[in-house]
Amino acid sequence: MNDGVYVQLLDLACGALLLTGVLVLWRRELAVIIRVFAAQGVALAALVAVLAAHENSPELWIVAVGLLILRAGVLPLLLARALAAAGPARRETRPLVNVASSLLAAAVLALLAYAVSRPLVALSPSPATQAIPVGITVVLIGFFVLVTRRRALSQLVGFLLMDNGITTVGFLTTSSVGLIVELGVSLDVLLAVLVLRILTARIQESFGDADLDELRELHD
Amino acid sequence: MNELLLLLPVAVPILAACGYGLLSWRPATAWIGACAAAGLLAAAITIAVAVAHAGPRTALGGLLRTDALSAFMLIVIGAIGLAATAATPAYFAAEITAGRATPRTAARHSLLVALFLAAMAAAVLAANLGVLWVAIEATTICTAFLVGQRRTRAAVEAAWKYVVICSTGIALALLGTLLLNFAAHHAGIRPGLDWASLAAGAGRLNPGVTQIAVLLLMLGFGTKAGLAPLHAWLPDAHSQAPAPVSALMSGVLLSVAFYAILRVKVISDAALGTGFARTLLAGLALASLLVAATVLLAQRDYKRMLAYSSIEHMGLLALGAAAGGQLALAAVLLHMLGHGLAKATLFLGSGHLLQATGTSRIEAVRGLAVRAPVLAGCFGAGVLALIGLPPFSVFASEFGIARAGFATGLGWATTAALVLVLIIAAALIGHTSHMLLGDPTPALGPGAATAPTRLPGGVALTLILGLGVCAAVGISAGPLSTLLRLAANTMTGTP
Amino acid sequence: MSALGVVGGVLQPVLIVSFSPVLLGVMRQVRAHLEGRAGAGIAQPWRDLRKLFGKEAITPRGTTEVFRIAPLVLIGTTAVVAVVAPFVTTDSALGSVADLFAVVALLALGTVALALAGLDTATAFGGMGASREMTIIALVEPTLLVAIFALSVRVGSTNLADIVSSTLRDPARTISPVSLLAAVALVVVVVAETGRLPVDNPSTHLELTMVHEAMVLEYAGPDLALVELASAMRLTVFLGLLANLFLPWGIATELTPGALLVGVVALMVKVGLLGMVLAAGEVFMAKLRLFRVPELLAGSFLLALLAVAASFFLA
Repeated sequence: MNDGVYVQLLDLACGALLLTGVLVLWRRELAVIIRVFAAQGVALAALVAVLAAHENSPELWIVAVGLLILRAGVLPLLLARALAAAGPARRETRPLVNVASSLLAAAVLALLAYAVSRPLVALSPSPATQAIPVGITVVLIGFFVLVTRRRALSQLVGFLLMDNGITTVGFLTTSSVGLIVELGVSLDVLLAVLVLRILTARIQESFGDADLDELRELHD
Repeated sequence: MNELLLLLPVAVPILAACGYGLLSWRPATAWIGACAAAGLLAAAITIAVAVAHAGPRTALGGLLRTDALSAFMLIVIGAIGLAATAATPAYFAAEITAGRATPRTAARHSLLVALFLAAMAAAVLAANLGVLWVAIEATTICTAFLVGQRRTRAAVEAAWKYVVICSTGIALALLGTLLLNFAAHHAGIRPGLDWASLAAGAGRLNPGVTQIAVLLLMLGFGTKAGLAPLHAWLPDAHSQAPAPVSALMSGVLLSVAFYAILRVKVISDAALGTGFARTLLAGLALASLLVAATVLLAQRDYKRMLAYSSIEHMGLLALGAAAGGQLALAAVLLHMLGHGLAKATLFLGSGHLLQATGTSRIEAVRGLAVRAPVLAGCFGAGVLALIGLPPFSVFASEFGIARAGFATGLGWATTAALVLVLIIAAALIGHTSHMLLGDPTPALGPGAATAPTRLPGGVALTLILGLGVCAAVGISAGPLSTLLRLAANTMTGTP
Repeated sequence: MSALGVVGGVLQPVLIVSFSPVLLGVMRQVRAHLEGRAGAGIAQPWRDLRKLFGKEAITPRGTTEVFRIAPLVLIGTTAVVAVVAPFVTTDSALGSVADLFAVVALLALGTVALALAGLDTATAFGGMGASREMTIIALVEPTLLVAIFALSVRVGSTNLADIVSSTLRDPARTISPVSLLAAVALVVVVVAETGRLPVDNPSTHLELTMVHEAMVLEYAGPDLALVELASAMRLTVFLGLLANLFLPWGIATELTPGALLVGVVALMVKVGLLGMVLAAGEVFMAKLRLFRVPELLAGSFLLALLAVAASFFLA
């Protein structure tokens, strides 16, 4: 694949990652957030596919397909099932930071990500590494969602957003951390989500609606 | 033969887990877990002897590696694992009698604990930062259900906070790992995450990228080790989990996460000079000690009290690591062992206390020395061990850390730390004396039976033995001293 | 000030003045058709304007000069933008005024004039409409500036004509993340500035839901005709800018009758299609509650800011 097309497609995939990250912060309905997260999984798989095509690496193609199945298929399915089992409340009604302020905070986080990733881009400038700030922005947005949302499912999506961002940075910096570590990381993410889903169900049983603001029994 | 020896600490607990998966909980199968832990300890001692004689060795094509530091950590895991699993049958006997658990719960508990031990062993045997990360994440997953085992509201809340906060911290550590891999590839170090090659080639790593990576790694693994600021999960998780699990988590898991920080420090010192890691670790240490001291003064729950004490001791470990140097690092390792044993003893004792009194509030427990003398004795001795009274080993290790702190220019930080430790000691003694001494009747109500509750023989033996080893190590490190010296060498000088 | 620019400067305002009520008529007809009504026909807005121009010029008691000159300011600024911005030709009649900041300032001036007129009537609804409009504008103007600035970073100049010509030369740029993020942000801006759903309902009769209509509630006769014409022209101008910044193909780059004809037709087709899509979308959307509007606008501001950031760090 020639250079111009490679850069175009790479930038498009990164733009899609960024846009879906912003949409998770913007929208309130949990069903929409889960669909947007699935779209981000597709964008991530597309990014890895572009890298695979550029470097002609069959290993990366396999990883791209695996990512597509895991992050655009299995994980959103688990989340949707958890949402179906949840109570009638389907929206994030009172986040700790309201939506308009969250969006402005996301702007600040984007600039912070850009500042932090300067040494990373300077170490090895290339079209791939120049997109690292996008990955770090998604990590920061995920952390922000994790910290400021009250519903268990929103926190879960925030954690998975962080993970998507970290995976993006991983693929943009170097090609390989070793296949075993890749598999281990994916497995851990899947198991973490399963665990959290089961815990969400238990929270549902014990507390009713999974509004984590209710979880205030343990404190000093 | 060598390869097999290295695989044993991981394989034996996995076999025990399979055993519990196939069989259920019966008087006969109840001891499988303890046998597995004993096997792990035996393998650990053998490996330690082998390493002390012949140097580091690898297995599984470079995935697993053991040097003096790993061998010592394996001994810590084995010892405390043995203590916790030896007390499990009696604990579950009481739980099943009281109707709070079923044999299925007990079998599942032991299966998860065995997997937990295997994951920790894999973490300290990992030759590669990536494998270490996967193993530590695996420990989070194994313990997630153990923390929430009791299915009460508080337990479910604790489990949720635990998994979310620890997974977030671990995700930050993963980002740090990827960035370190990036810097390593760029400096020509291949494979990028192998400890030995990283330590050898650390001088060539790009400082800017390595700084960000080390910061993320220390914060990430620091979350798992219970260092402030991301420590909020620790009191909840350790107080809501069943006693053997609390003992393991407080005693060993925190130390294993700190082991990861020590490994990262080696690379940071070689790549960035000692100043960066030292400042970072000193800051984390003081923050943790401050948090522990502030909360312990007005603490109302004895299990949370023990959990905050763990945060304090992790802060002390961080201070020792910040000081650096042979003496400090040897003291840090000794502290891991001593604190682990004492804390495990205390948590196991508190488990029986909870079963006997039905409450975990300090003010509801009085006059334990009259009602349950053996338990009270062990509990009291454990608290004395924790606050650093001789002859327990915590005294020697805290003394070593303080001396090293003053010697290497961390004078102010060490002074502040000692003041905070003093405050914490006072708080602990105050709370414990309230529980142990005094007249038991007001707590039980007039006319209630005051016959002393008896601690099961096996448990009493475990507790006394644990405290005894702690004291013995405090008097003389004995055969461990060679291992400590070699391990400290690993971290300061030649790998 | 080239010959192409002068011809464009004459052609564009004539085209926009005559075409904008037709655009409005088309949009209303599309809406009517989708809602199952017969509709009033495409020429109805022109018929309304003719009726209004023939009426007596009357102003409410208690209003000052501000009320009387606001429609003139509004239509004047919109006409200037129609003359200079690149709609039919890439060269503009007054090159320096085709700059991003000048164009945005002119359009904002028109809005402010109308808001002042709404305040000048001293009625409750006029004041309410004016304050709502100013809230929306305060959030929309930065987004508009930042979004078009993101496009100008790569070109190196904030002149709108330069941006359009450089997109003509390098078509692949349209599908870059910068363009896409800026496009989404600009769509929200256009909807907010021209008072369409979901920000404001242009055909509402309920005063409490009005934003733009509340400000012009007291206008009658020729003044009302001027205001309505100016609103239609603003809609055409915004849709034309949106079309030509991202899809400039068809715009005349040389002074030949064929190129000019193609330019005129291309503009009419692009703006017409965008208008129809907007009208069709309006059928399916409900008006946002006023306190939710800042969320929408903050989101579009974030996208514009990310577009600028992306233009700096993505290749």
